[in-house]
Amino acid sequence: MDNPTVAQSGLWLLILLPLAGALVNGLVGRKLGKANVALIAIGAMVAAFLSALVVYVQVLAGRNVASGGSENWFHVLGPDGRAMVSIAWGLWVDRLSGTLLLVVTGVGLLIHVYSTSYMSHEDDAGYARFFTYLNLFVAAMLTLVLGDSLVLTFVGWEGVGLCSYLLIGFWYTDEQKAFCGRKAFVTNRIGDFGFLIGVFTILSIFGTANYGQLAAAVKGHGVDTLLTAGAFAGWTLGRALTLATLGLFVGCCGKSAQLPLYVWLPDAMAGPTPVSALIHAATMVTAGVYLVARTSFLFALAPATMATVCLVGALTAVFAAAIAFFQNDIKKVLAYSTVSQLGFMFIGVGAGVYFAGVMHLVTHAFFKACLFLGAGSVMHGMHEDTDIRNMGGLKDKMPHTRMTFLIATMAITGIVPLSGFFSKDAILAGALNSENAAFPAVGKIAYVLGTIAAAGTAFYMMRCYFLTFSGKPRTKVAEHAHESSPAMTGVLWILAVLSVVALLLGLPRFEIFGRWGEVFGDYMHPVFAQALGILHGEGGEAAEHVALWPFAVAWGVALASGALAWAMYVGNLREVPGKLARAFPGFYRFGVDKFRVDELYDLFVVKFVKNGAWVLWKVVDRIVIEGIFVNGIPRVLAGLGRFFRLGQNGDLQRYAAVIAVAAAVVLWVVLGTGAR
Amino acid sequence: MNNLLSIIVFLPLFGALGLAFFPAAEVKQHRVLALLVSLVTFLLSLGLWVGFDASPGAAEFQFEIVAPWVPSLGIGYHVGLDGVALLLTLLTTALTPLVVLSTFQAVQDRVKEFMIAVLVLETAMLGSFAALDLVLFYVFWETMLIPMYLLIGIWGSENRLYATVKFFVYTFVASVLMLVAILYVRAHDGGSFDYLAARNALQASGSAQRWLFLAFAVAFAVKVPMFPLHTWLPDAHTEAPTAGSVILAGVLLKMGTFGFFRYALPLFPEAALHYRPIIATLAVVGIVYGALMCIVQKDMKRLVAYSSVSHLGFVMLGLMALTAEGLTGGVYQMLNHGVSTGGLFLLVGMLYERRHTRLISEYGGIAKQVPWLATAFLVVTLSSIGLPGTNGFVGEFLILSGTWLGKLHRAPWYAAVGATGVILGAVYMLWMVEKVFFGRIVSAANRHLPDLSAREVVVIAPLIVLIVVMGLAPQPFLDPARPAVDRLLARFQTAEQQLQNVQPGRPPSTGTETPGLAAALTAPGLEGTVR
Repeated sequence: MDNPTVAQSGLWLLILLPLAGALVNGLVGRKLGKANVALIAIGAMVAAFLSALVVYVQVLAGRNVASGGSENWFHVLGPDGRAMVSIAWGLWVDRLSGTLLLVVTGVGLLIHVYSTSYMSHEDDAGYARFFTYLNLFVAAMLTLVLGDSLVLTFVGWEGVGLCSYLLIGFWYTDEQKAFCGRKAFVTNRIGDFGFLIGVFTILSIFGTANYGQLAAAVKGHGVDTLLTAGAFAGWTLGRALTLATLGLFVGCCGKSAQLPLYVWLPDAMAGPTPVSALIHAATMVTAGVYLVARTSFLFALAPATMATVCLVGALTAVFAAAIAFFQNDIKKVLAYSTVSQLGFMFIGVGAGVYFAGVMHLVTHAFFKACLFLGAGSVMHGMHEDTDIRNMGGLKDKMPHTRMTFLIATMAITGIVPLSGFFSKDAILAGALNSENAAFPAVGKIAYVLGTIAAAGTAFYMMRCYFLTFSGKPRTKVAEHAHESSPAMTGVLWILAVLSVVALLLGLPRFEIFGRWGEVFGDYMHPVFAQALGILHGEGGEAAEHVALWPFAVAWGVALASGALAWAMYVGNLREVPGKLARAFPGFYRFGVDKFRVDELYDLFVVKFVKNGAWVLWKVVDRIVIEGIFVNGIPRVLAGLGRFFRLGQNGDLQRYAAVIAVAAAVVLWVVLGTGAR
Repeated sequence: MNNLLSIIVFLPLFGALGLAFFPAAEVKQHRVLALLVSLVTFLLSLGLWVGFDASPGAAEFQFEIVAPWVPSLGIGYHVGLDGVALLLTLLTTALTPLVVLSTFQAVQDRVKEFMIAVLVLETAMLGSFAALDLVLFYVFWETMLIPMYLLIGIWGSENRLYATVKFFVYTFVASVLMLVAILYVRAHDGGSFDYLAARNALQASGSAQRWLFLAFAVAFAVKVPMFPLHTWLPDAHTEAPTAGSVILAGVLLKMGTFGFFRYALPLFPEAALHYRPIIATLAVVGIVYGALMCIVQKDMKRLVAYSSVSHLGFVMLGLMALTAEGLTGGVYQMLNHGVSTGGLFLLVGMLYERRHTRLISEYGGIAKQVPWLATAFLVVTLSSIGLPGTNGFVGEFLILSGTWLGKLHRAPWYAAVGATGVILGAVYMLWMVEKVFFGRIVSAANRHLPDLSAREVVVIAPLIVLIVVMGLAPQPFLDPARPAVDRLLARFQTAEQQLQNVQPGRPPSTGTETPGLAAALTAPGLEGTVR
């Protein structure tokens, strides 16, 4: 299959196959019956996954694959024949997008299979609708990943947002769930506003939004290159790119749920659990990380943005981990954990260790999908109860779910030798050693915050595991919990194995190359070579620190706080959590209420806009424009008319009186002046 | 071939005359005949699309006919189409059959008169786009008012008289200003009402130009409608029958933006440059203000009406950018708004036919009862909020990028503030979708709503197809506009050069900026890639 043209034609198939599946299921799915719907949806995914493999053979062989790029989507030629806005249908696979391609189609396929069983309680129409959205999501996500320009990525970006909206509100008859979907979409739109500003800025700097052309255009330019024309004439390239990349990063904050736009992701758990696994953990929410990695050569020229990315990631990692401590809903714990882990990825790409950020993206996709699907399996066993306080002792009732959940928990906790250890600690060690030109301390700060967050992760994940699976059943439902079907547990096992096997990506390889490098880092090097060249000087690498102590610290931290969680929820310190909650009731409430950020936004943003709009409507529209001008002027004219009509009502006596009075006045004036 | 345009313009009028001979009691005949006439008009207009030559060397106005009408006064029957008028003509002829079909159930009262009004209105609209003589244009322009006035006043809802008087007075007062300006133009261009003569030979001082521009601009701004002249629109839309709303939103509002493109801007470019910052600011205010108004509306039609204020603000912003991207995007957004807002009014009308209320709070949770209607509504909504893959995105992206890349002073700020409309659009449209279709069913009346009938599918499906086609393959709709856009830009460049002769050192303010990084122009793409 080493044929480039086959791979090229396969590229569009990748998107069109799931799209076709969505179309068929969307139009006639409800009449086909569940088995056929599943067959179509999964068939499309299998075909897409196979095409992805064909394409990936090329990528492994060191070739990038492009398709299209000459077919215009839309362009406007100016009078001089030059197009500033020229958007082509072009797809592009290199090692970065190829890796994501495999993750999206692979994990996507697994979750499709899982869903056939998980969603089997839906009626025919609901079942068809679910798989329609799911296939549509994969098509959009692949557009996001494969698009060869910022605009095509934006198409996928908004497309996945739409699918997320539809799937969060999948059970739309529940008002709360419909609201959560809308909240996700609107919050994402705030991010998309930033994305658009970023794209426009890039257009006015470069006149193109195509990744390849952008990379070629910045080559040989430094932060201090002066721009000669456009809205930013006189700015340095670095300053203009800071604006552009900050705009893009606002988009990332929306899509990847970072501070301050993370609020939609926990609510996104209203959707069916496979959706949470696929969209709100494994793929869509990592789009922001992908975007930063994809445009790394632009971010590298904007050190202030890099510092912002790093710091926002670190703060989000700690903040979300802190909230996760207090959550009792198994999906909410996992949701905040996702927010926190995404923060880690942003530390990585913000500190310039791009490969580590992407590696964590991949490993996280495996273990977090496994965790979410495990949670879904638990919910099935528990009759849709999600409160971990009502569980306990499920290890005997659901052995497969328990084992896979445990493996994934250990992976996310960062216990050697599972994959999470390598990816997370590559990020932290990289951040510690990074040097940001704008804010030199940011790497160190991110390392400290990240380590705290890692300790938190180990604690709350272990807490979640122990409360769910250890001890004795705490409710009747938990006593009668049952294991899920093989379609579900089989998928769980594959993902659990993947979260172990992914450690291969993180293995150090210095004995082969004679220098500090890592399998995945080396593999990804061509993608990030330009950005690394900008950061560390042409042809340069990050200063080589072969210090092992950060790894030892990370391992120790994970083990210690994991052990603490064991002690507090299974071992001898079991009274401590309750005592702590009673000792600080206010703080505990505050934590359970997710630090009341939603309420804060509601008060200062939502209510502000709503009430402001209402006041504008009443004052400007109703009173000023309508009242004073539109109806006021006619009313004044009508009033004048009514006044003058008083003198013309045909009443002779009144006429006579008016004449008499008027004559008297005239006489008085004339005689008065004459007398003077 | 040359007569085709005139045939298309007057065919609906002849259809209306024909309807007059059928007995009023034969409701069905009127419906079918009106549908047939509008369909034939549409099919013929496709001939215009095929026959139109959009290559740079082609004639500016095609399908042109010049015939004397009142020679002593310099009034002629002069019609012809440029690319922009062609696209709007197609929009009109495409929407009218759908509108006629949508009334088969909704209008039971005075069907004959209704159909006659719709057909007369179509001729007036088509004539306004085709006219190349100022008086002819004015005649068609004012003729539009009468059937629209009747549509709202006779077939409208409770408060229709107030709305219709307001609509009429607003637009009529503004049009009279335009008439005065037209008379002034004739006196100063050598005694002809011909558009081309006026454009080429108009001799007016700078201040006279500004007054003339204002007279035209106010007439058009009312029609658009631009903030703060917009308050007639929510009332008119709310009270109008569905068909009236669709035509009003779909075509009539474009008369305003088309007027700017065809008359106000090219006739008085220097004055337009003078007032441009104000108009662009009002456009941006309209985008945000209209969207904010939507957030607090309780009535579906009123909400969609205010959303029109916001969307037409985008169109005006694109026109005021005076870049190829902005102008083309503005033209494209005119079509988009016709398709998506027209579609929204049709769908709201379908809901109204089922429940006889427009209040959002009366609905809720009906997606389960009417899944296809809900799906159609959602697709049209997504088009309206500019989701990529739908037509709305192409228009908004071109407008905003065209504004950002323009040479207008502080251009990026206009684009950035305008882009907040992207957020607000999602806020109010999805709020309406949620409140109408999602949640639990509260009102018992909503429990047994029928889904789309076959006729309704035929009405809405073409628009949904258009939304997707125009979103994925917009070029066939963008290309015809190019010669007209280029000519307008060239006019402005000439005007700027003249201004620079008077005020040396005046920075250019039209056209697109070049990329800031000089090397970017020649950069190759995607090195080391298999193609």
